[in-house]
Formats: sequence, C-alpha cells, structure tokens
Amino acid sequence: MHALLGENGAGKTTLSNILTGLYRPDEGEIVLFGERVEFQSPRDALDAGIAMVHQHFRLVSPFTVAENVVLGDHRDAGRSFLLRPRAIEARVEELARRYGLAVEPRARIWQLSVGEQQRVEILKALYQNARILILDEPTAVLTPQEAEALFVTIRAMAADGRTVIFISHKLNEVKAVADRVTVLRRGQSVATVSAAEATPRSLAALMVGREVEIGRRQSDRRAVGEPVLEVDELSADRDRGGPAVTAVSLTICGGEIVGVAGVAGNGQRELAETIVGMRLATAGTVRVQGRALRNGDPRDAITSGVAYVPEDRLGTGVAPGLSVASNVVLKSYRGSPVSSGPMLRFRRIRELAEGVIERYDVRTSGPQVPAWQLSGGNLQKVVLAREFSGEPVVLVAASPTRGLDVSGIETVHSYLLDAASRGVGILLISEDLDEILALADRIAVMYEGAVVGERDARLATVEDLGLLMAGGEDGE
Amino acid sequence: MRIERRLRQPWWLTVVVPVVSILAAFVLSGLVLVVTGHPPLKSLHRILDAAFIADGALSETVISATPLVFTGLAAAVAFRMNLFNIGGEGQLYAGAITGATVGLLMAGSPSPLVFAGMIAAGAAGGALLAAIPAVLRAFFSTNEIITSLMLNYVVALVLEYLIFDSHSYLRDTSGFEANVFPQGKTLPDEATWSSWTIHGLLLPLGFLLAIAVATLVWVLYSRTRFGFEVQVIGNSARAGRYAGMRTRRKILVVMCLSGAIAGLGGASQMGDFRHQLDPEGLRQANYGYTGIVVAALARYNPFAVVLVALLLGGLTNAGFTLQGADFPAGLVGVMQGLILFCALGGELFVRYRVRFAW
Amino acid sequence: MNNSLVVVVLASGVLYGTPLLYAALGEVLAERSGVLNLGVEGMMLMGAVAGFWTVERVHGPTSVVLAASIGAAALAGAVMAAIHAFLVITLRANQIVSGLALTIFAGAAGLSSYLGNDLQLAGKPARHQFQEIFPSSLQDLPVIGPIVFGQSLLVYASWVCVVIVALYLTRTRLGLNLRAVGESPAAADAMGVSVTRYRYAHTLVGGAFAGVGGAAFSLSITPQWVDGLTQGAGWIAITLVIFAFWRPTLCLIGAYFFGAFTALPFALQGHGVTVAPELFQTLPYVATVLALVLVSSRAARLRFGAPAALGLPYVREER
Repeated sequence: MHALLGENGAGKTTLSNILTGLYRPDEGEIVLFGERVEFQSPRDALDAGIAMVHQHFRLVSPFTVAENVVLGDHRDAGRSFLLRPRAIEARVEELARRYGLAVEPRARIWQLSVGEQQRVEILKALYQNARILILDEPTAVLTPQEAEALFVTIRAMAADGRTVIFISHKLNEVKAVADRVTVLRRGQSVATVSAAEATPRSLAALMVGREVEIGRRQSDRRAVGEPVLEVDELSADRDRGGPAVTAVSLTICGGEIVGVAGVAGNGQRELAETIVGMRLATAGTVRVQGRALRNGDPRDAITSGVAYVPEDRLGTGVAPGLSVASNVVLKSYRGSPVSSGPMLRFRRIRELAEGVIERYDVRTSGPQVPAWQLSGGNLQKVVLAREFSGEPVVLVAASPTRGLDVSGIETVHSYLLDAASRGVGILLISEDLDEILALADRIAVMYEGAVVGERDARLATVEDLGLLMAGGEDGE
Repeated sequence: MRIERRLRQPWWLTVVVPVVSILAAFVLSGLVLVVTGHPPLKSLHRILDAAFIADGALSETVISATPLVFTGLAAAVAFRMNLFNIGGEGQLYAGAITGATVGLLMAGSPSPLVFAGMIAAGAAGGALLAAIPAVLRAFFSTNEIITSLMLNYVVALVLEYLIFDSHSYLRDTSGFEANVFPQGKTLPDEATWSSWTIHGLLLPLGFLLAIAVATLVWVLYSRTRFGFEVQVIGNSARAGRYAGMRTRRKILVVMCLSGAIAGLGGASQMGDFRHQLDPEGLRQANYGYTGIVVAALARYNPFAVVLVALLLGGLTNAGFTLQGADFPAGLVGVMQGLILFCALGGELFVRYRVRFAW
Repeated sequence: MNNSLVVVVLASGVLYGTPLLYAALGEVLAERSGVLNLGVEGMMLMGAVAGFWTVERVHGPTSVVLAASIGAAALAGAVMAAIHAFLVITLRANQIVSGLALTIFAGAAGLSSYLGNDLQLAGKPARHQFQEIFPSSLQDLPVIGPIVFGQSLLVYASWVCVVIVALYLTRTRLGLNLRAVGESPAAADAMGVSVTRYRYAHTLVGGAFAGVGGAAFSLSITPQWVDGLTQGAGWIAITLVIFAFWRPTLCLIGAYFFGAFTALPFALQGHGVTVAPELFQTLPYVATVLALVLVSSRAARLRFGAPAALGLPYVREER
C-alpha cells in the first residue's frame, strides 16, 4: 500500500489520470510489472490492470449498480453481445460479499448514499480484476468510522496481492494506512519514505516545503455578543425530493464561530442554502438580528447582512465566464457607487476590483481576466473579499477551504478568525473535523438532516464527534 | 491533436477567423459548383453582383435583411441568457397577425398613428406568444427549446387557418377570385410604412427601426444593470440566484423582449413589404430559423447581427434575382449553410488553441 | 367496413407515420449518445433526393433498384449527419446552431433543392416505388386488412427496426455503453468506452435512418420528387422523440398518432364532415407541450427525461 501525499494542486490527481490513461504524458515513460507501457486510452490502462476510484465518482446515476460495474467491460462475461442481467448481478453480489462491500446490485445509483457509491466504484475496479487500484482522496466523504471500514477493505485487497495507491493530503491517515509514502510538491516527487519511520511533522515539512504548525487549536474564547442568527425548526427538501433538513435549530452570536460537522450529504449544504434563501424552507424560520427572513429570497438575506461562501465556488460563488471585476460587484451592482439609476459605472467597478486584487493579494493579470482562470485559492479570496465588503453580520461558510493548498487554507482561516473578532457570527460547515476543531467555538453535528448533538469545541473529541456523525446516540 | 482552452483571446482572432470562415465557405461553394458541373467563379461573381453590386441590388438586400435583423436580435437577446428561444419563427408570424389586424382596424387614421399602432401590436403579439414558453420555463422548468419550437407550428397552422380555411377578418373575401385563391386582405395605404431613399439606397422604416432596436439592445446589454444580470444568469443561473437576482422575472422579461423583437419583424413584413397576410410566403422564408443562425454568426453582438443579416440577406436576394433555368435554385441555401459551418468550425480556433503534437 | 373512418384514418396514419418513425428512431439513437441533431429535416430531404435519383438512374429489377435507392438515401443522410458530428463532437460547436445550420444547408432552399433541380428530378413520377406486398385477399380482411396488410415493405421494415433498436438499447452491451455515454460521458470514458466513437457512430446511423425516412416520401407517399417535399416532417420527428421519452417503442405509437392526425381531417371531409385541418393538426404540438410540462418535475425527469448529457460536448481535460 503506497500513499501519494501532497497538497491540493501538487499534481496527485493529474499523475493518476496519466496512470489511468485519461491524460497523455508530455514526456517520460511508465513501467508496469517490468514492462514499458504506453496508454492511449483508459481502456488500455484497465486492460493492463490499473483502475482508479475518482474523487468525483464516475457513475451513471440512472443505471443500477450491476450495470455500472459491467460498463465498458469486454472480457469474458463482457464478450457476449447480449446483456445477462441475472448473471452480472450474481457476480457482483459474490464479489461484494468476498470483500465485505455491502451494496444491492439492483439498486440505482441515485438512490445510494455517498459511501455506498464509493463501494460501487471499488467493486468496478475489482470486477475489472485490477491489480493496481488508485483511490483518490477516498476518505473525504466518509465518517471516521466508515473510513476505518474502508481501510479494512483496502487491507484485504492488499492481502490478496493487489497494489493500492492511496492519494491523500491528510497526514495521519497516510501514516495509518500506507507502507510507503511518496510526497509530491508542485508536480514533482520530492521524497519516498517508509511510513513507519515518518512522523506527521516530517511529512508535512516535505509536503509544504517548510515547517508548518499542525494541530493548532483554538485556545482563547472570543468575546461573544448578542445572537445574530437564529435558526428555528428549519426544514427543507433535497433536489430530487424527500427531506434534506429536518427541524434544525441553531443560534449563533456575534463574534462566535459555530461549526457544523458531518459526513458529506447529510443535509449541511442544504441547510446553508436554506438559511441564505437559495432553497425553499418547508418549515421553520431564520432570523437575523431578530428579524425573520423571507423564505426563499436570497436578496432579503443579502440586504439583512447575511454573507455566504458557497461550497460550489466556481458556478455559484462566482460566474466563471465573467471577469474578476464583474464578480467583485456581483452583489453590490444594484446600488451606488457601482451603478447609478439603471446604468453601470464601469470606472468604479474597475477601481473596486483593483482595490480587492491589491488588498487581498489576488494573483491575476488584471480585473478583466475571466474568473475560471483563477486558481482555487485566489478565487476564494475574491469571494471572501466580496462577501466581507458588504459589512455582514452573519457569514455562512460552506467548505470554504475545500481544494485549497496549505497557504490558501491558512489565509481563509485567518480571514474567518478576523471576521469573528470583528463581531461577525460565523456558521462554518466543513467535512474536515480538524478544521472545525481548530476554528469553532461550538460544534453541531448533522446526521440525516438533523442536528444530532452539540458540543463545546474545547471539550469535544474526534471519537465522540465521529460517533455522532455516524448517527450514534448522543451520549450526553 | 490536442485542443486546449485559450487563456487569452488575441483581439485579431475575432476579426480574422470570421473573414477566413467566409472565404472558406466561398471556396467550398465553388467546389460544390465544380462537382455539379457549373463554372464556379462566374456563378459566384453573379451572386455577389446580384447581392451587393448591381444597380438597386443593395436596396433589395436591405429588404431581405430587415426581417433577419429582427429575428437575429430576438435570438441574440435570449441566447445571451442561455434561453434558447427558437420560437422566433412563430413570434414573427404572431407579430404579423397582430400587426396586420391593427393596420386594417385603424384604416382612416393618420399614417404615423397607424405605424405606431402596428409597431406596438406587432411587439405585443410576439411577446405574448413568447410568454407561453417563458412561463412554462420559469415556473415548471419546462425546456423552452421544445415548447417554443412547438408553438412555431401551432402559429403557422393558425396563420394558414386564418387565410385558407376560415372567413376571418384578415382574409380577403371580396370578389370571386378571392374565394378561389384565398389571400389576406390588403392593408390600406395609411398602413404602408414610409421609406427614404439616400443616394439611390432605399431605406424602409422597418430597417431603421431594426437598427434602432439593435442600438437599444446594445445599450441595454452592455451598459445597464439589467444587462449585467442577464450576463450573470446566462453564465451561471446559480450565481445569479446567489447574488439575489430575480431569475424567474428575468426569464419572463428576456423571453418577452425576444418575442417582441421578432414580432416587430412580423409587423415590418406587413407594413414595409408584403402589405397582406401571406402564410406561404412567410413560412417559406424561414426568417425565424435563419435569425438564430444570424445571431450565432454574430456571436450575439447586436451590431454584428445587422452586418451578418445583410450578408445572408444579400445571398437570399441574389437567389431570388438569379432564379432561373441556368441558375440552380438552392445554391443560396448551400452557401448560407457553408458559411455557418465554417464559422462554427472557426469558433473553435477563437476559443481554443489547437496543437498538433503526439 | 374497411371504408369506415377509423380504419381509413389508422391505415393512412401508418402510411404517413412511417417516415416520422424512421427519422425519430434515428434521432433517438443520436440523442441517446448525447448528440442533439436538429438537422433532421435537412437529412430527410437529402435522403429523398438521393433515393429518387437512384431510382431514376439505376436500371434493373424493381427490388434491386429500390434496395439501392434505400442504400443511397441512408448514405446521403449519414453524410449530412457526419458534418454535424464533426462540428459538434470534434470541434465542440453549439449543437442547436449546428443542427439548424444543417437544415439550412441541406434543406428545402439548400443542397437538396440544388441537387434535385440540377439533376432535373422534378415533375416525374417515380419509376419504381414501394407498393403493398400482400395479396388483395389479405388486404380485404376486415379492419386489419388495410391497416396491417395494406402497407409497403418500408412499413414492415420499420417495425423490424423498432424491435432491433429497442433491444439494442436495453438488452445489449453496446446499448448499455451507448446509454452511459449519453448519461455520463465521464463515467463511460473512465471505463474505457470511447465517447467520441460512440457519438460519431450513432449520429451517423441516426442520419442514415433520417435519410430512409426522407426516401419514404419520394418513393412511397408522394411518390415523386418535389422541392421541400417533407414539409416539416423532420421537425415533427424531433418532437416525437421527446413525446416518446426517447424510447423506440413509444416512437412507433407516437408516429402513427401524429400520422393519423395528419390524415384525419381529410378522411373526415370524405365523410362529409368539415373541420379546419389546420386547427386539427395543431393538436399533436399542443399535446407535446402539455406532455412536456407534465414530466417537468425533477423526479419525472430522471425517468422520462432527456439523456443527462444531451447537447453537451464532452471534453476530458477541461476544468
């Protein structure tokens, strides 16, 4: 079991996409089982025995599990022209049983939880009889307990004689699972070390290229003010129907950071969207400084002082095809000084954008550059700059550091702490427990759309929170 | 071959690529002519002559281009917001029906009043028809491509019904011949739109109106808050909602605006050129569908729409002029199609960089 | 009895519905791969010209000539589809615009008209045409005689095509891969299914089907070549695909439904009832819009909706 460790943007995913034939290398060669190979397509890589579980699953959602597993297969069972659903289902079931991957072969993908979908991806690789399996950030969507179960499966596969390449940026995880670790930095392999001999600190230094503080923890509590955001018995539906958020109540005071922990897909995103008015609440109210917001009206939330850093940066947080300047004024275009009457004032917009670029150190060649060309970290700076420029009283931040490199994460964290010290109440939604533990004053855990427990951040432990995230009973 | 998205689009590409595309289309058209045994250079020369150079050709071209400017603008206005209104065809018919009705009803009133009435009615007719797919899209998220397309057929059939199969107000029922060969009532003289001649170039009121609309659209889309919202929503509807924009309202407004512009094209057909409701003529002209192509070629820029409409209108006009035994009909459509194909292909070179490397 | 309104309408519904059925089957294949081709009208008209031209120029026994003409029609449709495929798959052009361009290029004022006029095909009856193949004893059977046995080979062949396409989509491995390409090209690509190849192949086959549909006009319904003889059938076929929720078997029902609506007003006139045929013919379009509204909910769209990647170019390396 080999781990590929590196920051976001270090080139881990690109490297594995080359190994699986999705991208073609510009130069260099791949030697597989002692033979030089050249992949023209993913098919070649699969045939050579390399399979990958992508971070964003590559599943066909209206298909059944079994159909997804046999997709593209052209060996033995796959050679027959006709589909034999029964036979396929039986094989998939057998395989699932052997590796302890519980999924129903006849279920359709869109009915499955994220964890189940990941199992389908692993089944696909096993069905293809992959000798080398690449897992790209597999634990990002799992509870600590589910991650443990995944590690058991991985070990079973390794015991079977398969090679597992495990991509991660989490130090502890890498140390726990891997035999050897290769560290990537800015597209280069900087070292390969034995996992047993490495320490989280030495790995972090290799990964970032300098000493970093890890495990920093919030020690001093900030002064907490009046309640600024009161969420009362809020419920909302998910996109394809059915409840996503059920009767969630939360109170956030000025200057306080409340973390919402939970495994992805347990209603956190929907909760954030409902609070800021982008999703219709089916019941309950949201109050900002005591005044109830109009249901499903983002503009009312904005004018009431609710800022929002959405999970989906490129596409919701910014309009990707529009310039940085346009995105800077995305929310302030309606009034002075950005517009006067119905007309826009382009000089003002340009000045504002240049100000943001300078103050927040956004790396771009100018305000007219389309937003999609910015790196994740710089994009997030634009989003944060815009959201803070509205002088918010509440900030809802959903996975604000996802996909950022270490320095980007540090920047975002410092902005959040800064805002809290200025008296902004912050709701921080994150799947990264370490992040929540480092920043939050209080932690609420969501499971299946409900808040199943609330903890004081100073007293919370990973084990306890993990249990809550998995739907365990609240022990308090 | 590798195709990469361009980080920067050099400005000259946006000029060179369309020009090269059009040249390539002419070369390919020449090829079609050679293959079918016609002299390519002579035929192409005749087309260009009949479209732009010969005496009075440009005036005829303006007439052919006017409806395309309207439908092109109509498509551009909606496509900019990623609203694929392909109902320009039906909205133009609707504007023609309402425009002609008002023109007939207002017989006897002073001309400027009648013009104003017809313009307002045409815009209203087109907007009303466009409101149907708009409402369905805004409130039921029904795909507007299909609904607007379906309505084209519905209105086309209504149009035929009004003239060929009923004794409607719009049908000419006077005289014996009118019963054998059904046709629309001819509009009164007061409803015949003015035109002006400058240096031998005939400029109908409709064309000037189209230019005015193009200017208005340009100001609206590139200088105002409304245009900013359209841009944002067109690029990412979620980002628009996130920014507190009223996306539903915007869908309704933009669709109706698009329909109104197409409807103006219909009113202009009645007031400027046809002076009676003529279902067959309107249907065969395919103004609405060609307008989409015009808009795409113009990359949804309102002024470019005018230029492209003149180019395609010129070809159409040449087709009419030259039609005869020695000139194969359909060549014009072939050329229009080829120009489009080449422009679409050329678009790739504007947006992407193509590298040949292995 | 066989002159009764219902029988006459159904029999001619099958006749008029057949070209729609071919074209719609082709469009189903293309759209299932994620390629929206609005150029059906153009492809049909090219098929009509190519088929008719073959019948005019090729000499031999009727069956051979007709087989050749169908081949030529299919080829013409496929060649037109290839232009669209190249533009939208390789060059990533906007599918709506490219399809409309194809209709303008090949359609009633374009290449099909150019070729038809240039080859002087107009005004001649077809030298061979598809005729009823069953003996009149069978055709005279009550009710099913005219409807089932009174048809030409093109109709029976279309039934075979429906069965083949339906089985292909749901029961074969290639069909499974095809549906994956249309639903989630990224997933298909990662499993080694070539998105580009599948899209090209099915767009081309789709064009061939449309070409055959066009030939059904010039060799069976009309049967001669007239400029723009399909009169919008290509657009109806596109509608039909949506109406049939991208399912071949429903295409069959839908095609005959649309065909019957075309025939009904004329049949009614024969029975002394006058209705305005135009208003009558709006009904299928109105019905399509209503059907669309009904299946607009998210849940319904997952089951009955368009393939998720329809209209979107697939680019592997774009972020």
